[in-house]
Amino acid sequence: MLVTGRIFALGMLAVLWIFIIGGMELAKKKLPTFRRLPGLDALPEMMGRATEMNRPVHFTTGLGSLTESVAPQLVAGLAVLGYASEMAAKYGVKIIYSVYAAQVMPIATELMRDAYIRAGKIEEFNAEDQIRYLSGEQFAYASAVQGIAERERPAANIMIGPFYAESMLFSETFFRIGAIQLAGTARGYQIPFFAVVCDYLLIAEEIYAAGAYLSKDPLQAGSIRGQDLGKIVALILMFVGVVIYAFGSNALIDLLKM
Amino acid sequence: MGGSEQKGIWSRLENVPREILYGLLLIAFIIPMVRPIGFPIPISDESKRWYNWIENLPDGSVIMIDFGYSGGGEPELGPMAVAVYHHMFRRGGLKAIAMSTSTEGPLLWEKAMAEVNPGQYGAQYGVDYIHIGFITGTETAMAAVGKDLRATTSTDYKGVSLDQFPIMEGITDASSFDTLIVYTTGGDQSEGWVRQWYTPYQVPYLCSTLAMMVPTMLPYRNAGQIVALLAGATSGQMESLVGKPARGIKSADVITTTHILVLAYVVLGNIAYYASKASRKG
Amino acid sequence: MSLMVRRQIPILIVFVTALIIMADYFLQLPPIDAVTKKSWTSSLVTDIQNWGIVLAAFALGFGAVNLSYLHTRHISRRTKGQWPFSIWLLLIIIIFAVTGIRYGATSSTYSWLYNSSYFALSATVYSSLGFYMTSGIYRALRARNLESMLLLIVGAIAIMRNAPAIAVAAPIVINMEAWISAIPTTSAQRGIMIGAALGAIALGIRTMIGRETGFLGRLTEAEKGG
Repeated sequence: MLVTGRIFALGMLAVLWIFIIGGMELAKKKLPTFRRLPGLDALPEMMGRATEMNRPVHFTTGLGSLTESVAPQLVAGLAVLGYASEMAAKYGVKIIYSVYAAQVMPIATELMRDAYIRAGKIEEFNAEDQIRYLSGEQFAYASAVQGIAERERPAANIMIGPFYAESMLFSETFFRIGAIQLAGTARGYQIPFFAVVCDYLLIAEEIYAAGAYLSKDPLQAGSIRGQDLGKIVALILMFVGVVIYAFGSNALIDLLKM
Repeated sequence: MGGSEQKGIWSRLENVPREILYGLLLIAFIIPMVRPIGFPIPISDESKRWYNWIENLPDGSVIMIDFGYSGGGEPELGPMAVAVYHHMFRRGGLKAIAMSTSTEGPLLWEKAMAEVNPGQYGAQYGVDYIHIGFITGTETAMAAVGKDLRATTSTDYKGVSLDQFPIMEGITDASSFDTLIVYTTGGDQSEGWVRQWYTPYQVPYLCSTLAMMVPTMLPYRNAGQIVALLAGATSGQMESLVGKPARGIKSADVITTTHILVLAYVVLGNIAYYASKASRKG
Repeated sequence: MSLMVRRQIPILIVFVTALIIMADYFLQLPPIDAVTKKSWTSSLVTDIQNWGIVLAAFALGFGAVNLSYLHTRHISRRTKGQWPFSIWLLLIIIIFAVTGIRYGATSSTYSWLYNSSYFALSATVYSSLGFYMTSGIYRALRARNLESMLLLIVGAIAIMRNAPAIAVAAPIVINMEAWISAIPTTSAQRGIMIGAALGAIALGIRTMIGRETGFLGRLTEAEKGG
């Protein structure tokens, strides 16, 4: 009944289920602690800078929609959007969210509206002006964001989510207008471009931790703990595999191929 | 020369205006395009590996080709696709079934075919090559085609029934294919094919991507999940191997001149940085 | 809309669909077809995947509708600095749509329209990346400290390797770049991939059990269990 060659993968999936659901349940009792993420700690600084300069903050979650394989990154970006919107509202700073996928708009509207309500500034929220659906085409979207950068001249730019070739376009354009930048993506292709230009960077799964780090939501935090346990298992397997392979045994390779 | 003048010069060199950087870069682009220099092109082991894989395929082998790149990636990936098609048609005996996981794929395939001119090799549409259209959904599309091609699409890209084409006889799912070739500007496509075709069906996979994507695709290559991984920018090498010099070889000169210029910028920037630092201390 | 319809039914649909797809991948559930040797879940999964393709196709159209709606509003409200461009955008959408419907999306007319406009613009914007990268490299590859020195050395080796003439003149850069690609780069990328994969699995699990806020709107405190 079990498909040969996929048994170990099934076992690992079952283990991850236990880790993640267990992590979420445990987190309801006691929230796990996170190591510092300097990029996220810099958010108040970025908002403060925007307040002083009387310029808006720009936020984008990049390309990708909720139906694609990059959806986890988009969701991570939306989690930070909610937090950043609340902070922007408290600081009295306008936050502009550039949207690529039309299906994200209602979610973003609800997120940002809730954020402004929590900040007690709902009267300052203007969905039409602050949430801008630009285009579903990569470079039309990229050009539009560059246009926003040049016209609105945000003091801060936050980019968290799945980014493709436009990452360098955004980074350089916002650098040129003098914006402080926080970027994060799990797409390995674009991390180097953000790393060389942006002031703060979240690498790979740090963006998944970002939502939990900021919101202190037990579900998200517990899920991150479950992922970390999964990584520990992966590390143990790697270490054991390297050692026993060095001694001439293919046991772990055979196990993985089960 | 006074100390403050030196400081000024180094400071200026440390912060050269981008207009000058871009202007010189533009010159470095244009000169070799207008007047090819003919720099030598080394043929990498990876290019040879790709070439030999195609060359050694048994007659009658069926190849799935994903034209998964957008118009923006055409200048880099188009020449590679054209060179590989030249190789397949010249070699003969292979069936090339193309599809697209990007919306612009069919149009870009037509563009490539116009450059290849299959008729010169006696290749016929529907017999030796075909395009079964754009299938939306990226990985869902790959999985669906791999599981049951006929259930996913029943026509070619022009809407003609697949049953009318001899090339499609006996083609049902991923197991009907002997090799997969992917040209893409999207990591979702290049990685998705590993998950949806290589992992479940073990279809040998040749992948050509943008140069910036190669480092991220290397783990798959090094794990043996990809037979050969080439950046589209190395299309000049493929053109040399196939004996059909075209845009790829021309752009190799541009790559050399612009890279040399960028290296000069890096050296200049570092010299200016340290000289400026020394001047400030002094 | 009741909570049952708004939340519970979608969660159930997601859970059952995901379970079927996972079962088809990992298990061969009887009855197995004697001819095709495939489980009953196989054809079900094929149907689900085809539904997914159809839904994704709708998303394409949804984007066009949304764009048209938004820009029509800009025009009707005469949004300052925006409305003339909105007219232009809608005009282009109409031209492409009419041409595609009248002549076919694979016709030479449509191809000409595409090649002369969108393809040229797309390639141009993509190519502008080269310029942005150059200014980025000029600023970033400075040996300010140990990390940036390493970045400088590796970057310089990669640039030299990728310039064909330099690689021919100094073949040592080929071996150096090959080592950098095979060992540190691959190792780092594998770590990133494993982390990203675990994140995707975690999101999938949270979605399946209805604990993910992104798709269904925000959870109440009671639903979070906090």
